[in-house]
Amino acid sequence: MAFLERRIHLITGKGGVGRTTVSSALARAAARHGKRILLAEIGDQEGGYSAIGRHFGVEQLMPTPQELEPGLLACHLWGAAGHELFLHRILPGALVRTALRSKALGRFLLGAPAFHEMGVFYHLLTLLEAKEPDGSPTYDIIIVDMPATGHALALTALPRILLRLVSSGPMAAAVRLGLSYTTNPDKAATWVVTLPEQLPVTEALELVQGLEDTEMPVGGVILNRYPENPFDPDEQAALDEWMTLKPTHGELTWRRLAYSRQSSKRLQDSLEVPLWTLPEIDNLDGRMDVALAEELFGLLEGSL
Amino acid sequence: MKSTEAGQSSLLLEKRVLVCCGAGGVGKTTVSAGLAIAAARAGRRVLVVTIDPSRRLAETLGVKSNLSQPVSLPEESLTKAGITPPGSLFAWVLDPQIVSDGVVRRLISNPDDAESLLANRIYRNVTAMVAGMQEYAAIEALHGFVVNDAYDLVVLDTPPSRNALRFLDAPTRARSILDSRVLSLLVPEEGNLIRQFATRLFEEVLDLAFGRDARVDIQSFFKLFGRVLGHANKNQEAVQEYFRTKRVGFLLVTSPAREALSEAYYFEKKTREELGLNLCGYILNRSTSFALDRALPDPSSLPAQAPAELRRALAKLMGAAETERDTARRHAELAEELRGRKESVWVLPAMPTSPTDMAELGSLGDLLGALMSDPETKRTSTNLSAAHLPETGCSCP
Repeated sequence: MAFLERRIHLITGKGGVGRTTVSSALARAAARHGKRILLAEIGDQEGGYSAIGRHFGVEQLMPTPQELEPGLLACHLWGAAGHELFLHRILPGALVRTALRSKALGRFLLGAPAFHEMGVFYHLLTLLEAKEPDGSPTYDIIIVDMPATGHALALTALPRILLRLVSSGPMAAAVRLGLSYTTNPDKAATWVVTLPEQLPVTEALELVQGLEDTEMPVGGVILNRYPENPFDPDEQAALDEWMTLKPTHGELTWRRLAYSRQSSKRLQDSLEVPLWTLPEIDNLDGRMDVALAEELFGLLEGSL
Repeated sequence: MKSTEAGQSSLLLEKRVLVCCGAGGVGKTTVSAGLAIAAARAGRRVLVVTIDPSRRLAETLGVKSNLSQPVSLPEESLTKAGITPPGSLFAWVLDPQIVSDGVVRRLISNPDDAESLLANRIYRNVTAMVAGMQEYAAIEALHGFVVNDAYDLVVLDTPPSRNALRFLDAPTRARSILDSRVLSLLVPEEGNLIRQFATRLFEEVLDLAFGRDARVDIQSFFKLFGRVLGHANKNQEAVQEYFRTKRVGFLLVTSPAREALSEAYYFEKKTREELGLNLCGYILNRSTSFALDRALPDPSSLPAQAPAELRRALAKLMGAAETERDTARRHAELAEELRGRKESVWVLPAMPTSPTDMAELGSLGDLLGALMSDPETKRTSTNLSAAHLPETGCSCP
């Protein structure tokens, strides 16, 4: 099942591992292959700081998708947008307008636990279901820059929790429809981004387990910023001695090589899902260059 | 290292609550533990609390998560971290379900009502989710510590900054629910016909969305939960007010990565301008500015008899070494940039691995204690002598 044939990709991982960079790079690469891509982020508040926006020189994203580059749109998945869409679905138009004018209802939906997340889920579902006049999907592929580990798992666990509470009616139908996308390995994949360091690797392993527990199809783990080792064993021994004597510049790089190899080995030994390794690049502005984005895309596209 | 004198190290010795905020992956949890250890080593009774759903702190400190109250660290851990009486250290990894159950039992005076809320399907499922509830629970727990004066200092590790803002907003959001007439729609006053009519309409909408059975559950959930919030709300307002006093300090933890910094700047603006909180400064973590005055591994500077493999290795390393030199410069400039924002800045060196045992955390605590007690170290990057830090970390610019 190639990357471009799935409808939705969820990108997650520990904070600081490059989730947004990987999401943005994949979106760019996929858009170059002629697909209409929607890149979505999940925020806690409207108009807040946008990590995706930074990659494309946009201050903030809106709940309504905006085109950032040809074929590449982005939006902010937002609870209130989902609430409004849902109300439109179940109520006559006039009643929706009345309901939306009610500040009391708005504040309630914002403050009550889990309602924001339900709205986010419904907003995402609406975008997945959006159709062009000819019946084709408005967005071929939706790539979601998910929150870090704990919050990501809370989100992926939500639909099933909802179904336990509500088994019939439009809400339950919407949840079932959503699950028919997100839990279907032909339509969805979740990717765990990590770094070749001790804590991110530990968390990636836990996250893969957690995703499988919530029945999310895990596409694989993306090991980001893996440094290349240019030294043969003799050179390594010589460097070892040199650095013990008196560290020079380059010592941190040299040390990191050893830790990275350990981390990669740990992943290889423990994972049952595919592992892709991305080389280290020195990108000061946090962007992934086109060549690397294409490389990652090629890896994922060629997978399976 | 200079002695820890009162007045100089006011953050560690005088604050009652220290809140560590910052983007994901910058080392907040480790820094929180380090700060707590530093204060405990200085003789205070300290509690470190994490509401981080990844539960990393519990693992590092060697305590269990999911406990219903803070636990003292085992004697052995304290010794390893160099904490001796009167200093002591407690840790608590908040489990939202347990904290929340405790809150319900405490705030609903009628035990039957309390148990019926605890058994409610909505309550059981919603509380288990991290979202929202955890913040309510954390605020509630903090209130208890503040009221009871149980600790000299509480160090609070928070979820990544955008969520930390949610945490701070929790009282406002709780009030929103209470203010909202929606609650009174769910639970109409008897005898008020207009209310009853409105409630009937609202129920029909809920029936449409969720089905009747679920609606009845939702109604009974909010009826009981509204009462909890009513009490909790009073506490939360008290906590929020307390958070604005000088006794509480906010620290922004950041790595030198641009994205982490952007979030930190955003948070700085939020905390100070919008929330009126007492921001105490930046902890710039993972800086390599300590390597600023190192030499380049230039193979041409090697003596003629140096082995060929060393010559080859250094030649291969030169590119990375030059990048490292530039990075060290950039990190040093960054510390100046932060100081330019008129903030205190404490710089922690990049370490090859995160501290994973108490001895290593103790060294970090030692370092933080030294940095914070010495006004000079704020200006001059790092002043390291901690044993476990890489020897590379010992040079002072």
